[in-house]
This record gives sequence, C-alpha cells and structure tokens, in this order.
Amino acid sequence: MGRNKLYFHLGIACLAGYIWFFVNYSITYSHENNGIETGCLIKQFTDIPCPSCGATRSLISLMHGHIIESLYWNPFGIVLFVIMLITPIWLLVDCLYHRASLLWFYKKTELFLKQRKVAIPAILLVLINWGWNIYKGL
Amino acid sequence: MDAQKVDMFIMANGKFFESHQIAQIRDRLLVLDDDKWGMIQTLQFKDPTTSLIISLLGGNLGIDRFMIGDTGLGVGKLLTCGGFGIWAIIDWFMIMDATREKNMAKIQLALY
Repeated sequence: MGRNKLYFHLGIACLAGYIWFFVNYSITYSHENNGIETGCLIKQFTDIPCPSCGATRSLISLMHGHIIESLYWNPFGIVLFVIMLITPIWLLVDCLYHRASLLWFYKKTELFLKQRKVAIPAILLVLINWGWNIYKGL
Repeated sequence: MDAQKVDMFIMANGKFFESHQIAQIRDRLLVLDDDKWGMIQTLQFKDPTTSLIISLLGGNLGIDRFMIGDTGLGVGKLLTCGGFGIWAIIDWFMIMDATREKNMAKIQLALY
C-alpha cells in the first residue's frame, strides 16, 4: 500500500471514529433519547457482542477519568484511545513536512504482528476478551 | 521462455489475477530466463473466492484482511467491529480485487 492511499484511509477512519464517538456521546448524555439505538450494529442484529463491543462505553469512561471502569467495559478502548489520539497528529505532521514516517511505522508494526510468537498470544487475548464480553453480556 | 509453458502457467493461474494484468504477466514471462521457471511454478497464490467466503463469514473480525496479509487493516477492522459493520460490507465487494492485487505484488517480486 502506498503512502497517499494509506494516509487517505487512516484519515477517513479517524474522522469516522471521532464522528461515531461524539454522536454516541451526545446521545448517551442528552436527556431526550428519541429511542435511537446506540452501540454496536452487529449486536443489534445478532444479539451476540463482538470482540470490540463496549469500546465506545470504555472511551466515554476514560474521558471521565474512570480508568478501571473503562477496563471493565473493554480493554480495547485504551488501545483505541491511544491510536485515535496519536494517528491524526502524526498524519498532519507527516503531510506538512512531506515525510513518510507513519507509513514506515505502519509497515514495521505489520511485520511485528505477523511474527508467530506475537500473533498467537494476540489472537488468544482477543478470543479471551470476546469470551469475557459474552460473559458480561454487554 | 517457451510460449507453451507460459500459456500453461496463465491457464492454471489466470484466476488469481486481474484480467488486465494477465497480458503484462504473459509478456514478462516470455522474455524471462528459463531457469526461473521452477521458482515461478512453485509460487503459491491466494484464491479470491476463498477470501470472499472468509469475508462473508469473518469480515466483522477482520479475518479476511489478516488472511491476505493486510495486518494493519485487519487490526483496524477488528478493533472497530468491522468498521461499525459498514466497512465489512464494503469489503465483501473489495476483497476479491484486493486479493488479486496481493497476488500481483507477489509474482512481481519473482519476475523483476
């Protein structure tokens, strides 16, 4: 994947993530909830939470400073928080200075995650988290 | 390389590539040295149909992207529940072309 394509995709993804988060945030904390369902679309259709269900609630707890509560909702929320905080800044700096350091980092991360000794524990963690999500009944 | 060998390769592996890439691959194979034939023949490509099936079944977890080697996008899909379900649906239509592109990148490494 080339630099411009990756940066375009990342930009869109970050924008969509922020819009999703703030729409959910405002619906959760507005008093007139017009019956709009929030949260994971998959769960609404299948009734089974997916591995990343609860990430939005986790981010909202984190915004209020409740770290333990955000870990309870979904530990992925912390990962998402870090990614969504760093990526837009890194993207802008790279675009302003015409560099490709984020692309370099992205490729390094891909290679790191593809190693068997990293991939297998990561997959196990995701599965355990999914099991926990179903157990909690998010 | 022999035209016969090249056509055999194209017949066996044509489905792994975009139609507009096949002519380019054929031209390149024709001028290629004969001793590379063994290596070209043993290359393993990913089947676009398999990745479509995986995308339909496990697209929400990003398994299709992991399978074709786009680990970064796979993580993104996994963490966002298949891009809030929307990206997963878009990928049902994109994943076959993405697989063919990956195959093209793979054969290009061997050809050039």
